[in-house]
This record gives sequence, structure tokens and C-alpha cells, in this order.
Amino acid sequence: MSTNRRWNSGMFATEDWWSVWIGLALFGAGLLALAGLDLVGWMARPRPWEWTDTVSAFAWGKWFAPAGAGYAGWHPLVSWLVSYAVFTALFAVGAYFQRLSVRRFVFGFSALYVITWLAWIAGNELHLTIVNATVDGHNRYREAALSWGLQLSEGAPFLLALVAGLAIGNFAKGFAGRLAEAAKPEWYIKTAIVFLGVTLGAQTIQASAFALDLILAGAAATFVAYLLFWPIVYTVARRMFKFPRDAAAVLASGISICGVSAAIATAGAIRAKPVIPVAVSMVVVIFAMLELIVLPGAYTAFFPDAPVVNGAALGMTVKTDGADAAAGALLDELMNARHLQLTGEHWQVGWILSAAILTKIWIDVFIGVWAFLLAIVWIKKVEQRSGVVSISPMEIWFRFPKFVLGYFVAWLGYLAIAAAWPAGKPLLASGTAVVQGPMRTMLFMMTFVAMGTMTDFTKLKGLGKVALLYGLALVVVIVPIAYAVAYLFHHGLMPPLAP
Amino acid sequence: MTKIDIELRYERDRWRARGAGIEIVHAELRGIETLLASQLATERTPLDVELRFDTAALPRWLLQYHGHYCNYVLHVPPRGAQA
Repeated sequence: MSTNRRWNSGMFATEDWWSVWIGLALFGAGLLALAGLDLVGWMARPRPWEWTDTVSAFAWGKWFAPAGAGYAGWHPLVSWLVSYAVFTALFAVGAYFQRLSVRRFVFGFSALYVITWLAWIAGNELHLTIVNATVDGHNRYREAALSWGLQLSEGAPFLLALVAGLAIGNFAKGFAGRLAEAAKPEWYIKTAIVFLGVTLGAQTIQASAFALDLILAGAAATFVAYLLFWPIVYTVARRMFKFPRDAAAVLASGISICGVSAAIATAGAIRAKPVIPVAVSMVVVIFAMLELIVLPGAYTAFFPDAPVVNGAALGMTVKTDGADAAAGALLDELMNARHLQLTGEHWQVGWILSAAILTKIWIDVFIGVWAFLLAIVWIKKVEQRSGVVSISPMEIWFRFPKFVLGYFVAWLGYLAIAAAWPAGKPLLASGTAVVQGPMRTMLFMMTFVAMGTMTDFTKLKGLGKVALLYGLALVVVIVPIAYAVAYLFHHGLMPPLAP
Repeated sequence: MTKIDIELRYERDRWRARGAGIEIVHAELRGIETLLASQLATERTPLDVELRFDTAALPRWLLQYHGHYCNYVLHVPPRGAQA
């Protein structure tokens, strides 16, 4: 049995809380650099490589190496194995407390880890990543003497991870089933988002006014989008598709707010049968994958000069935290590569992703309030049973996404330390660089793979009317309105240039 | 005012309410509420029945997206007031 009774219910029983514990534990380990201890430098980090060079003289160190300078003497394979052992142990402890089968979880996690690293290493081959642009008088593409190149920058490993995951999810379904216990993209991405709080802390120090603009504009845009999306989709579901009121409300939330989480929150608020949000959620998860495949490339191709608008629009369009963050990361890399190609300028990496994440986080935060208000409206106006049933304001807290707390603690913690001890800023930056660098990227990569393994496009069959409404609302309502609202609140905002 | 805790589950095609020594099954939540009211109501004291959804009943793959469903309170007046 698992019910929410007290404010601290589920603190050790949900992946949401475990993303906070694991994220903050590794952030805390990184902070020990302030005391002269490097407890995270063992993390393996892939290196750019070129295949003819590697074939002619193979060395593991050409593929990956320990991230911390203090661990430079370690053999790369030791670093890789320690990274595997630490992450597997941390997540297995979380799995144990969540009452998952630890044995099956460790098997699935190990397989996802290996697939992730294969994609990560392969995706760092220079023909896939390096951009043909001259920066400060150097053109690394020409210096590497490449005859061809896809110029995808760090987007290449993300795309390979996605292709690998989708191939397993759609063509090796038996294997995908064996990975299911560890296919937790939301857990991995929420942990990565806690790490991203550290990145936002560092970004805020570098460009505080811009970071504040991004945060406020994200909140305002989210609020406006809510007010537009929900009534339109609800009306279409009722009038055109003739869905009953409860199904239309669940669909409107799932399609227009934040996907699965909103569908379940709304269904709970109006006390619909759980089969409704379950059906909606299946469609949301598959469409989120389609959005992840299409939108980053499309925005990069059509709007290369609107990086922050594109990021914010993604945050309002792509449902599920995993797909949004993954799409934001991909967009960040593709946009940066494109901008470098066109202008020879580097934007600071991470701002476009932050725009996508911040918008989504506001949506996640508001969903509890929205569900609570909807529950009251449903009881008073729709069911007209004011004196018979009531909802406690604690419902807002139960629905609150806890990983957001980890994100804000990491962000404000980083800022507080930097403000309290300005001389320690270099140590702070170097100590947390591994956390917000290879650790975060690896969890993003695992999210791509895990999402792919649990996406089976054939499941869309039989969900006819729901899938049709979702597709129609996405193309006609969500994508254009999200872009217009993102433009309204974010136009003119550009990421700072990399030093 | 007396408070009673009831656990709510959804199983395939019906709701199941369990707690305070009773177990009720019905296809509709309204039906569950009516049955609860009739079985739990006392002669004089109004009751607050706190219905808490057991999230373990949701498909496991779904819980990573949202681990909370619905908790709400059913206010049951005394039998005298119902009449």
C-alpha cells in the first residue's frame, strides 16, 4: 500500500525524492573541493577522437579519461568502472527503497549504462561532432584534415543514444522488457535537472540579469500558455470529438499542460477512473518522443537566430520532463553548432537548455495549484456537491514535483557559497564542474536511451480518437501558440558569448 | 467530528474502499460514497471520511511521471440529519 498521508510521505519511496537525494549527494561531494578534497574527479569523460587515428594506434585514453586532474594517473578503464560502480550503487539503493526488484534493476541499469557509453563514445568521433568554423584564427575542422563531417557538435551522442533506445524499444521488444525495471527516464532526468541547478548557479554569477530575465519570462509565459491552451483543447475535445467531461478535462491537461503528470493530477482532482489518464499517458509518452525527434531540428533549421525563444517554446510544447530536457539539450547543441557554423561565434552552452527547463519547471510547479483549483471548481460547479466532499490544500504539496526543490537548493546553494566566500569561486567552479559536466551529460544520455526503450510506436494503434485529438491539438494549437507566447516573452534574449 | 481513514484503489473496472473494518466495491465512485455513508453514519456525530488513493494500484511505469492520485474528504452527516 502507498498512500500520501503526511507532508513527508514518500520521502524514501519515490523516484522524485530519490532524484533530490542522489543529485544533492553528488553536488555535496563536489563541494568538498572547497576543503581540498576531490571526491568526484574519478568520473569518466569521453574524449573527441578520429577513427583512422584510433585504428592505427588504439588506446583507451583516446576514447575516455578521468574528468578530474587529481585522477589523471588512473587507467581510463578504472575510471569507467568506478563511475559504473558508484552510479549503479546509488541508483540501486534508491531502487531498493522504492521496492523495485534490485536484481532486475541492476541488470537493466548496467545494460543502459553500457549502451549509453557506446553511444557517447561513438558520438564523439570527429566526423560527427566537429564544426567547420574559424574561431580565434583556428579552424579545428580543417586542422583535423577531415574530408567530410556531419558537424552536429555534442548533439551527435544524444542522437545516437536516441536511435539506440528506439531500436531496442521497437525492434528488440523482449530485451526492452528485460530493461523495464531500470527504464526510468524521469528519474535520470530529474537527477540531471538537480545538477542543472548547479549550472544555473554558475550562469547566474556570469550573467545575473539575463538569468533573472529568463526565470521571470519563463514564469509569465507559462501562465499565459496555461490560460490559452487548456480551454481551447477542452472545447475541441468536447465539441468536435464528443468526449465526456471527465475525459475531456484529463485530455486537455495532458495535451496542453505537462503531459502525463497533468493528466494524472487532473484525473485525481476530478476523481475520474484511472483508466482515463493511463490511456492518455500512453499517447503523451509516444507523442513526446515524436516531438523530441522533430522539434529541435526544425527550430534549428527555421529559427537559427532565436535560441532562447526556441528553448522556451520547447518547454511549453514537449510534454514529460524527460523528453523536454532531452529536447532542450539536443536543441542547445544543434543551435550552438549552427550558430558557430554561420558566424564563427560560440554561445555559452547551457542557456538554451535552461530556457527549456525553466519553462517546464514552472509548468510542473503550477500543476499542483491548477489541479487543486480544478478540483474545487469540479466539486462546486460541475458536481455541485460543496457540502458533501472537499479537498485539502495539502494536495498541492502532494502533487508538487520534489525534484524542483533539489534544483533550487543546488542553484541557491551555489550562489550562497559564491556570495559568502568570493575567493573560493574558482574552487567552487572546479569542484562542481564534473557534476554539471560529465555526470549531468551521462544522465541525459541515459534518459535518451531509457525513453527510447520504453517507446513502442505500435501502441498508437487502437488509441484512435485520443491519438487523433492529440496530434491535431499539437499541430494546430500547442506548437503555434507556444511559439507565439515564447516569442512574446523571450524575443531579443540571446545567450552570452563564450569567453 | 469523528475522522475515519479509508484506502481507495481502482482495480480493472471497479473501485475498492477498505478501512475502519469495512470493505466496499462498486463500479462508480459515487456508489462507493453512498455505501460508505450508509455504513459509517452514526446517529448523532458527523463524520469526515478521508479517502486516500493507493498509488500502488496505478501501472508501475506510470508512477515515475506522477506518484499521486486523489485524496479527498467525504462529509457524512448523522443519520438524523440525513432523514
